[in-house]
Amino acid sequence: MKKIFLLGLMTLSIFALSACGGSDVPEGKIGIEFWHMSPVGSESYSGTKAIINDFNASQDTYYVKGVGFSFWDYWDKVNVAIASDNAPEVGLHTLDNVILRGSNGALFNISDFIQDDIDAGLGEFDLSVFNQSQLDYAEYDGDLFALPFTATTRVLYYNLDMFAEVGLTEADVPTTWSELETVAAQLNKTDGSQISQIGFDPTYGQGTYHGFLWQKGLDFFDENGDPTLNTQEHIDVLDWMINFNSSFSRAQLNSFGEANQILGIDPFAAGRVAMMIGTDSLYDTMKQNGADINYGVTQIPLPDENGIRTNWGSGFSIELYDNNDNNPEKAKGSWEFLKFLMSKDIQKRFCEANGWIMANNDAMEELVLGDPIRTAIFNEVQYAVDKVYIPYAPNWHAADWKTYYDEALAGTMTAEQTLAAARALYIQKQENYNDINNG
Amino acid sequence: MVKNKKMKKQNKKPSIKGLRHEEKRLGYIFASPWLIGLFVFGAFPLIFSLYLSFTQYDMVGAPRFIGFDNYRILLTNDVLFWKSLFNTLYHVAIAVPLGIVVGVILALLLNTKIKGMGIYRTLYYLPNVVSIVAMSLLWMWLFQPSFGLVNQILRPFYDLFNMEPLGWYKDADISKLTLIIMGLWTAGGSMVIYLAQMQDIPGELYEAADIDGANWFQKIIKITLPLMTPSIFFNFIMGLIGGFQVFTTAYIMTGGGPSRSTYYYSYYLFDKMIADNAMGSASAMAWILMVITLVITMLALMLNKYVFYMGEQD
Repeated sequence: MKKIFLLGLMTLSIFALSACGGSDVPEGKIGIEFWHMSPVGSESYSGTKAIINDFNASQDTYYVKGVGFSFWDYWDKVNVAIASDNAPEVGLHTLDNVILRGSNGALFNISDFIQDDIDAGLGEFDLSVFNQSQLDYAEYDGDLFALPFTATTRVLYYNLDMFAEVGLTEADVPTTWSELETVAAQLNKTDGSQISQIGFDPTYGQGTYHGFLWQKGLDFFDENGDPTLNTQEHIDVLDWMINFNSSFSRAQLNSFGEANQILGIDPFAAGRVAMMIGTDSLYDTMKQNGADINYGVTQIPLPDENGIRTNWGSGFSIELYDNNDNNPEKAKGSWEFLKFLMSKDIQKRFCEANGWIMANNDAMEELVLGDPIRTAIFNEVQYAVDKVYIPYAPNWHAADWKTYYDEALAGTMTAEQTLAAARALYIQKQENYNDINNG
Repeated sequence: MVKNKKMKKQNKKPSIKGLRHEEKRLGYIFASPWLIGLFVFGAFPLIFSLYLSFTQYDMVGAPRFIGFDNYRILLTNDVLFWKSLFNTLYHVAIAVPLGIVVGVILALLLNTKIKGMGIYRTLYYLPNVVSIVAMSLLWMWLFQPSFGLVNQILRPFYDLFNMEPLGWYKDADISKLTLIIMGLWTAGGSMVIYLAQMQDIPGELYEAADIDGANWFQKIIKITLPLMTPSIFFNFIMGLIGGFQVFTTAYIMTGGGPSRSTYYYSYYLFDKMIADNAMGSASAMAWILMVITLVITMLALMLNKYVFYMGEQD
């Protein structure tokens, strides 16, 4: 008896330690978990919760339980959950690496669900409301393994008050790199030896080397995923970026940059930079800060010759996770919920709750009406391109590149040295990746 | 005779075996939360990471066994592995001894009998209860090259020697040293241990030294420091182990830069796992670090023969 008691106590303590709480799925319904980024207490919580409640109210078969995490917590949690086959049935992730999860069998094939609907006479899921560039990232081996949920884009923000101070108007907003240089020079201001205002700097805000490369039809990697970066054109683009404000000394630029950091707000919103590349979220920052600035947005100026209208855009994907639990009814319910989330009205409600640009263009066209800034931003989404997923260097644009980019900005390496060093790192990573995966 | 046997039994040293069966089981029950914690949250991840170090694992698909490939690649064809290891060894080699010196000096200064000493001791210990993230952000502003307080204070010296202000954590040549100097702010933690041991030194030794005509410095060298060697040794070993895990300050203040000058081993391990999705390689790095730490700690333990344990001299 004592042994049984002790065993029971031990088991109880194990369960107590891993306390999961009881299931709150109503009896007779199939539970589906949906992970989002609107935790309890966040501004978007009530809007997201209402969307889930509306789905549940419309259902006799399925019941969705929403679980919200903050943006910063979300990624570790969802990645660990996927790795341990414990992911939610429906969740958000990043669109640019769907291929990683799709190729590893972590996701349900969305194309199969679309085909099943057609076979069952339920009609075809409308993919035409999404930008093809986003759909391409959700595809692996000819099938869709996710759907684009949100979109981001990068545009040029310009301060019309600063333009007016030097006699410029909206008609003078630059459209090419050479115009950008001319206009920016007119907008530079100094106070003694210190810079008090900068017209434009390609390294500020969301200006990225790969973004400018794309405008020239170049990239970090070729179509086989091999690192490039070793052409004169690559060097020229980096040189253009780091020498854009060469009329100032490195010490002046450093001091100006550090002062921006101290202010703790975006330099464009703070009125210290006349033109800057930013994402759609800068618009929200401007509104939240109540910035009293007369400004506009437009496409990022293009290289003078053969420029390609493009910008770096990314977005969240919405995915159905296959946790190998072999439960087709649950999978079907997840697909029903996903279709509900992607409908025009719900996409509009998500935008209103979270402030995101949603991937559903029909929804966004209605939402941006009457807001010229938002309309201009939305117009650029169609030109947005996500970064390519490189399996041997998934973070090629950030941690891998940043060290060398910082060297170039600090002037401790020339553009040529910077690119050679970065390329050498990518090549070594590629060798090691191939050694492990194909060796 | 029977009485004698009983008495012998009672005089026996208490041991687990000697405890009654029921008490033993109750002991295990009360200890079970800790035991579960140890095996589930400690031993299992440890052993699992050893297994993962022999696999290719991207945290999405299943781990695939690849033998020693992760170790071979790290040791033979990974420039960042050696760079980060060098940075870490540099940090350990300077930060650990410097931390001991500063801790001991602080303890000596705070071992005097002046009014309000309790307040001073608390103030020096206070940084140890500050979040390392908050501390790093604070020091970022203090060491900020253009507007930071440190350079403002040093400005007369810069002007005197006609030199450029130091770039501190933004200068690859001195960024590691900057983080080490910043780390000294928490020397109050080891200072408390030194102080406790200092106050344990018998007063008669100092009285005898006074009679022999020893001065303050001689008493420090001949009495205080030798009798403090157990706590110095303890802090040295703990400092070594902690030093090899340096990460947070670099992650917050420098992002591993400039020029990867503060890209420490743990930082690279973190990037391997989070940025490269290479959990197998990251696990191999963790085990290499454990072996390095173990070997260096074992070597350091050889210094134990120079440690003076007062109780052993009785």
